[in-house]
Amino acid sequence: MEELQIKRKWTWPPKLPKWSHRERVNFKTGMLFLLPWTIGFLVFTLYPMVASFLYSFTIYHPRQPNEWIGLQNYANLLADDKFWNSLSNTFYMVAIGVPLTLLTSFFCAVLLNLKVRGQSIYRVIYFLPSIVPTVASTILWLWILNPQTGILNTLLGYIGIQGPNWMSNPDWSKPGLILLGMWGMGGTIVIYLSGLQDVPVSLLEAAELDGASWWQRLWYVTIPMVSPITLFNLITGVIAMFQYFAQAYVFRGTHDLGYPLNSTLFYSIYLYQNGFLWLKMGYASAMAWVLFIVILICTLLLLKVSERFTYYAG
Amino acid sequence: MSALPTTRGDTLANNFPTLYPSPQVSLGTDEEHHKRLRARKVRNFFKSLFSHALINFIGLFFLIPFLWMLLTAFKSNQDVFHTPPRWLPYDNVRVEINGKQYPLYTIQTEDGPRKLAALKIVEGIGSFVDPDNPDQVMEYEIQQGATKIAEPIMEVRFNWQNFPDAMQRGSRPGIGASFWVYFKNSLIIAFFSIVGTLFSNTPVAYAFARLKFPGRDILFIIILATMMLPFQVTMIPIYLFFNDFLGWGNTFLPLIIPTFFANAYDVFLLRQFFRTIPEEMCDAARVDGASEWQIFTRIVLPLSVPVLATVTVFTFLWAWNDFTGPLLFLTSPKNFTMALGLQDFQSQRTMVWNQLMAAATVFTVPIVIAFFFAQKTFIQGIKLTGLKE
Repeated sequence: MEELQIKRKWTWPPKLPKWSHRERVNFKTGMLFLLPWTIGFLVFTLYPMVASFLYSFTIYHPRQPNEWIGLQNYANLLADDKFWNSLSNTFYMVAIGVPLTLLTSFFCAVLLNLKVRGQSIYRVIYFLPSIVPTVASTILWLWILNPQTGILNTLLGYIGIQGPNWMSNPDWSKPGLILLGMWGMGGTIVIYLSGLQDVPVSLLEAAELDGASWWQRLWYVTIPMVSPITLFNLITGVIAMFQYFAQAYVFRGTHDLGYPLNSTLFYSIYLYQNGFLWLKMGYASAMAWVLFIVILICTLLLLKVSERFTYYAG
Repeated sequence: MSALPTTRGDTLANNFPTLYPSPQVSLGTDEEHHKRLRARKVRNFFKSLFSHALINFIGLFFLIPFLWMLLTAFKSNQDVFHTPPRWLPYDNVRVEINGKQYPLYTIQTEDGPRKLAALKIVEGIGSFVDPDNPDQVMEYEIQQGATKIAEPIMEVRFNWQNFPDAMQRGSRPGIGASFWVYFKNSLIIAFFSIVGTLFSNTPVAYAFARLKFPGRDILFIIILATMMLPFQVTMIPIYLFFNDFLGWGNTFLPLIIPTFFANAYDVFLLRQFFRTIPEEMCDAARVDGASEWQIFTRIVLPLSVPVLATVTVFTFLWAWNDFTGPLLFLTSPKNFTMALGLQDFQSQRTMVWNQLMAAATVFTVPIVIAFFFAQKTFIQGIKLTGLKE
């Protein structure tokens, strides 16, 4: 037993565990295969992370001498009304847009999983909008949401509803963007659909045998069985929504970002404004790190909370 | 047997006759049985009617915007702003007079309505001629008080001309670059991105899938962790690196070069597939003295055509769709991509919605074509990675 208790002396440089010849050869081969990623990681991930972390403590302007200001950028953020505004706009989208999209896409997946004639055609129709390029779909929806000549308010008019001024009313601009997002939720539907097809038929039949109605089977069998997929969709959706950019940018264009009344001034938009329009790159870097921390906290929180609601079979 | 729910019991009994004794016992007479069957048929009919109605209704939400894009792309300039909007594209009926086309109007004259061609309309007063007698010019006010005197005659006509018009114009006037140039730029970037992605991700994924070497698992965790990192964190240093340090601003290089250095999504997707290739095949080659590189290029890659197709399609999709990258790096219109050009066009507030929609349609069509050719590849890729955009 005494041989097993090896006392390790801490030396510098630290002694690595001795690798056998075989291991060394394997390591070399492996690293050769990994070369593209290693270089990419160092140049496009690690270096930029370190750099932006350092920039966040400076007044960084690309063509001026930079000045180290410690935590001043972060302190300024806390006092910046537009920062809080953009953060709350983003939280609105995360808290309302993401769950709404998840719920409706699950509902659509259930519908598409029913045995109806022409099922494959319906699946294509539901999926197709999600591959329309973001810029094209955003411009299309600007046109659809146009209060006078748009098709949405016309259709609402048919059933006697006076549609709002989607794009110029600060209360309706974000719901308009959520609609645009829901139009392109085909990817989420496909993921849900594959999850629904993986629900064991034996479980559903057993429930049916016990006299469970369609709704009961959905509630007590299907929804718990797809809960890991819900979690996956939720987390990827939240992460993507925190970085919501292209749609909001196209929505108003460079000179008008955030219109109306800063209601579409999302976090990434304000970050872009600071970094690339006003060239306050240090400030923008501080914003980026705050975003990263917020995303991390939200993800961990979701994982923690979901433990109780997620069921993993097997 | 009476404990079994009767209506469901009989279907089960048909499937498992040995497990369940005949349910007829609980069903009573034949007449009652038929009654029950008929009731079930009616119920199922309404159920299926309801689900069909629902699936169609929600389908409209996905379909109408598509149709609206196409129909708007075919509309004439006046018809785009017609309120309330009409579904089909309308255009003026035109007549040819002395080799020129003029729109036809219905005019309420003193002697009843007449069909006249409008030569010009200035400040509410139009000069009209009879197409059969073009020498006599008559002037009418378009509107007298609340009553319209002159009403243009419209017909359903698809304006195909919008597509060449949209593609031959630039996003701004007088920039010497058209949407064809943007289209070509997007294709160039997508092509090289595909090449870069395929070349750089496959060896990395192979190493993670099949090679055993110290530190592999830690590195794999790191590569997965980079998926979590928002682009905003690395965006500014990467921009400064390409733009100021390398001086590659306003070129395609900052958009293409990073694809030659592997990314977490594709590595993960390829690795998942490589792991399904039987290890024995690789081992057999090893015994025969093949190097890892030979196994990778001669055995694994030829067996991976389906997943390479998935990666190709998704890289195309991503490069074609990308907006943020071109927005950061491309400054002069001759280098714009379709995404950036379309945004630029829209932001000019020129309000030619028909041409905007025509350009958007041309932008979308390659992807829709790709989808119909490789439907399975699309769906498979989405399922494998949960990739959404």
